[in-house]
Amino acid sequence: MQPNFRALVIDDEKLARDVVKKHLESFPEISLAGEGSNGFEGTKLINELQPDLVFLDVQMPKINGFEMLELLEVQPLIIFITAYDQFALKAFEVNAVDYLMKPFSRERFQEAMNKALQSLSEKKPQASQIKNIIAHHDSKSESLDRVVVKSGNKITVIPVDQLFHIEAQDDYVMLYSTLGNFLKQKTMTYFEKQLPPAEFLRVHRSHIVKISAIAQIELMGKESYQLTLSNNTTLPVSKSGYKKLKEIL
Amino acid sequence: MLQIVVLRYRLAFGWTEVTSDSLLSAFLFGFIAITFWYQCRYNSLESANILRVLINHALAAALTAAIWLGLIYYFLSRILATSETYLTFLEASLPWRYFIGILLYFVVVAFYYLLIYYQSFHEKLVRESELKSLVKEAELKTLKFQINPHFIFNSLNSINSLILTMPENASEMTVKLADFLRSTLSSNDVPKKPFQEELRTAKLYLDIEKTRFGEKIIYHENIDKAALGIPVPSMILQPIFENAVKYGVYESLSPVNIRLTTRLESHTLNIIIENDFDPENITGKGEGVGLRNINSRLELMYGQPNLLKTTLAEKLFRITINIPLEDE
Repeated sequence: MQPNFRALVIDDEKLARDVVKKHLESFPEISLAGEGSNGFEGTKLINELQPDLVFLDVQMPKINGFEMLELLEVQPLIIFITAYDQFALKAFEVNAVDYLMKPFSRERFQEAMNKALQSLSEKKPQASQIKNIIAHHDSKSESLDRVVVKSGNKITVIPVDQLFHIEAQDDYVMLYSTLGNFLKQKTMTYFEKQLPPAEFLRVHRSHIVKISAIAQIELMGKESYQLTLSNNTTLPVSKSGYKKLKEIL
Repeated sequence: MLQIVVLRYRLAFGWTEVTSDSLLSAFLFGFIAITFWYQCRYNSLESANILRVLINHALAAALTAAIWLGLIYYFLSRILATSETYLTFLEASLPWRYFIGILLYFVVVAFYYLLIYYQSFHEKLVRESELKSLVKEAELKTLKFQINPHFIFNSLNSINSLILTMPENASEMTVKLADFLRSTLSSNDVPKKPFQEELRTAKLYLDIEKTRFGEKIIYHENIDKAALGIPVPSMILQPIFENAVKYGVYESLSPVNIRLTTRLESHTLNIIIENDFDPENITGKGEGVGLRNINSRLELMYGQPNLLKTTLAEKLFRITINIPLEDE
């Protein structure tokens, strides 16, 4: 049988990749397009090779599997493989393609492959499922401690304490940080919920600021306020934003 | 004594009267006083109703003083029936004898209470020290090493992979894992073991992780031969290696050096573990719990704080453990 689909394995342990590769040998309809040992390699490989199926580890250096998914331009089918069960139940709830727990049996792998092959042959769009997984991952994490962004081919990990301003821009948000400014496809609500509430405040529909980066607040007109950040950016403050500011400061 | 002096010199009674009166009074009172003990025992000062205790004592005092006087009068009036002046004196002295009886009652009771207090205080001290050693034992138990289950799952996954790809290595890895698990199990029963045994367990762990991460772990050691036999708390080294792997190796894209050095000084054994560390890594939550655990264990065992110290140089994380040498 000619291979119809191409797969990628991304895991930071060679032995873990080897198991998947070995099991894949009994699926002639799948060809191995490549393997990566971290999220950076993974992002590059997926965007370049556009595989149909990706076996993805969660715990990897610098950026984890979920964060890697945020950086993809294409959305392949994902089968997670991890030793941790805390994401597994959630993934099943949101109907992920599958979630394999290390170590797994040949039968369990077969089962996952059956699901994946069925999805692939039906050519079901997978993006929504992946988005679901990501959204779920977002909602369960306690509070964000880093944001992974991509500009061109460069991936940057921004520690949350380096962020000082987030601005809404249509479907994106602009992240202003000491490492530079980056666009990210996320909502303001997401950041409002995930950033540590003691450090960040949504002062306006379109602006979230780091509280310690606020230099001054001025009264502009009747009940209208303006805020200046320590880098001299000025932003409008909404009525409710001003109320929250007054409570904190 | 006071009674003798008063009777002899102030009132000028003969020696017969003086000694009979004094001795009899003292003996009788002493005899009765023994019973006060129970009075004190059953009327604990710590009981809620102090008023009731006071009333009890007042009644007991009145009663015992009366009995005492009754007995004194009964015996003395018979023994010294010949001395007319003495008998009149005896009768006249009954009120102040009664008063002295009550006074003596309270003196003795106070003394008993003091005794009871001292006894319970002493018992409390003993119980407290027993409790302290129990708490210490319990604390040591909770601080005991626990294997990270993910380490086992990941190791089993490596074995599974080796079985499929390199069966001959799978056997070796299985034995290493079993060996490591066995030594961690036994270590929970032995508070201390020779440094070389502790080192062996920790290196087994590192070996297993090396099978997983390959060239990403580079291990160096520089060990003082004299240190090998020194007893150290069990499972102090492995959690530090685990820490180095977790925050050094797991989060790194490039190989990580782990360096173990021991230095034997006159009163301490210094164990130094260093690992390359990328300061860019945002440290995850829960970091340091394992290290704090080791520090608490060391403090409980040696009674000295801060035997474990951490320093973070530019790209190097260093842990120093000072083990006080026991006197032989």
